[in-house]
Amino acid sequence: MTATPTTYQDTVPRALRPGRTGLVARAVLLTAASLATVFPFYAMVVLSLKPGAAVELPGSLLPWHLSGSSYGAVLDAQDVPRWLLNTLVYSVVSVVGVLALAALAGYAFAKKRFRGREAMFWSFLSMVMVPYHVTMIPTFIMMAKLGGVDTYWGLIIPTLANAQAVFLMRQFIRDLPDEMFEAARLDGCGELRIFVSLVLPLLKPILATLGTFVFLWHWNDFLWPLIMGQSSGMRTLTVGIASLQQQQVPLSQVLAGSVIAFVPIFAAYLAGQRYFTEGVTGSAVKG
Amino acid sequence: MAAVAESRSRPRTRPQHVLRGPHARREARVGLLFVAPCFLLFLAFRFGPGIAGLVLGFTDYTIGDSTHFTGLDNFQRMVHDPLFWSSLRVTVVYSVIAVPFTIAASLGLALLTRRAFRGSRLFRSVFFLPVVTSLILASTVFIWIFSTKGPWSSLMGLLGLPEQSWLTDSALVLPALALVGIWSRCGYGMLILLARLQDVPRELEEAALMDGAGPFQRFRHIVAPQLKPAFFFLAVIETTNSFQIFDAIYVMTGGGPANASYSLVYQLYDAGFKYSDLGYASALGCVLFVMTVVVALVQRMVLGREK
Repeated sequence: MTATPTTYQDTVPRALRPGRTGLVARAVLLTAASLATVFPFYAMVVLSLKPGAAVELPGSLLPWHLSGSSYGAVLDAQDVPRWLLNTLVYSVVSVVGVLALAALAGYAFAKKRFRGREAMFWSFLSMVMVPYHVTMIPTFIMMAKLGGVDTYWGLIIPTLANAQAVFLMRQFIRDLPDEMFEAARLDGCGELRIFVSLVLPLLKPILATLGTFVFLWHWNDFLWPLIMGQSSGMRTLTVGIASLQQQQVPLSQVLAGSVIAFVPIFAAYLAGQRYFTEGVTGSAVKG
Repeated sequence: MAAVAESRSRPRTRPQHVLRGPHARREARVGLLFVAPCFLLFLAFRFGPGIAGLVLGFTDYTIGDSTHFTGLDNFQRMVHDPLFWSSLRVTVVYSVIAVPFTIAASLGLALLTRRAFRGSRLFRSVFFLPVVTSLILASTVFIWIFSTKGPWSSLMGLLGLPEQSWLTDSALVLPALALVGIWSRCGYGMLILLARLQDVPRELEEAALMDGAGPFQRFRHIVAPQLKPAFFFLAVIETTNSFQIFDAIYVMTGGGPANASYSLVYQLYDAGFKYSDLGYASALGCVLFVMTVVVALVQRMVLGREK
């Protein structure tokens, strides 16, 4: 790379563009950092395709003599398809539930006046400092008493009321103009109708980023599914793969499981990267 | 009627006729109805259990038995529990290693990809990829990376250090786990810092350049002050996160060798869900809660002093 204007966006002033040494240094550092970032992914994929190989460097990292048999083995011997299904159910149902509940509540907090509104809203915020690990213990006890352990509903329902999602929804809806809703109301539209046909379409941007964030969070969640999924058939992918690791399953098969769990997230990341970055950073900054 | 009374005390943002009479009552009813499903679930599964979890720390709760308030017994037991002190030490040492290096790495990546150049967006995407990757999955491959004959020990060999597995050495296991933490988190910090870097006034930097300030001086006097709030934010988020470290340890070391990586949340998990000692587990949760609050208070104090 040279410091010609075509290399840089014209908005970067010439004076602040790095010189030749700076460019070389940056290229070297960027390459090193990228290699360090990507290497675990590369190793995960290549080693999952080398069943039974004594893992020796650097031979085992070269991308030939590959075989997909570990994938077959892990899919046959373990409940991987079932774990995939469980993860999908956990993530998809939770996303739909969290978004629906948070949109309704956020709309009411932003646009409706009712007794106790402030108190309710503050109770949502009051839990920000309480680590999830504190909440988890009584919730588990409750679920054990209700018979929710090792069931979908026991896994999913406690995660649906997401304070962060409510907070972000309220912020977003507060900035929408009141006049629009008033006009619809004067036209005689019912409240639910207004919500579904007027409010929801306006929420598309926040539904997309928040939905991505919630999906990712559930897909990668570990501790709660670990506690709630006590039989193999109720594990999610993360819990299942951790159990593979502990059963001393051959490395290539564990990694094959990891690749299977990673591919859907990777594909989604490639397709909608913007939603991931906005979802993950936006949710944390404001929440 | 309550809504009407409330509306009088607050600044009026809407025409008065909307707030009076049956309309206001209807609005209040609809509002409550819309909030109710979410709020009830929140009460049942977050607010209630959150409070109960803190209270349980002062009981001898185990499933099936009758429960007694035992006052500070759990905390007295904790004081005399070497495993608690060990897990607290592991948690704090891990955080002390992981947090500064994560922020430093985030800053490095942010400065490297700050100015738009060909491929700068691709680099950002690559650096963010570990953030969306489950630590469980990543850990399965990091076990191999840190194994005795793995790439990390070979790399150490090239640097003239002993070739050994960092995960089985009690002095090196936390640095190894911190490396995984840095790998998985620095893309997040990079994005937070990049957002703030957009706000650095370019005129200031150019002016400093005219005055002959070198890159280091420009960073220290112009860029760094702008980034300060973001640094604070990251420090709080990353510290709180690393106080809760569990996933990577569970898969990579199981707390070993000899409890050298046995963290607070790991002990909470074992106490509660392996030994069904839910009262003691809740007391450990109280400690985690206090640690979280202390981090927030420190942040408040430091920010307060700045102002």
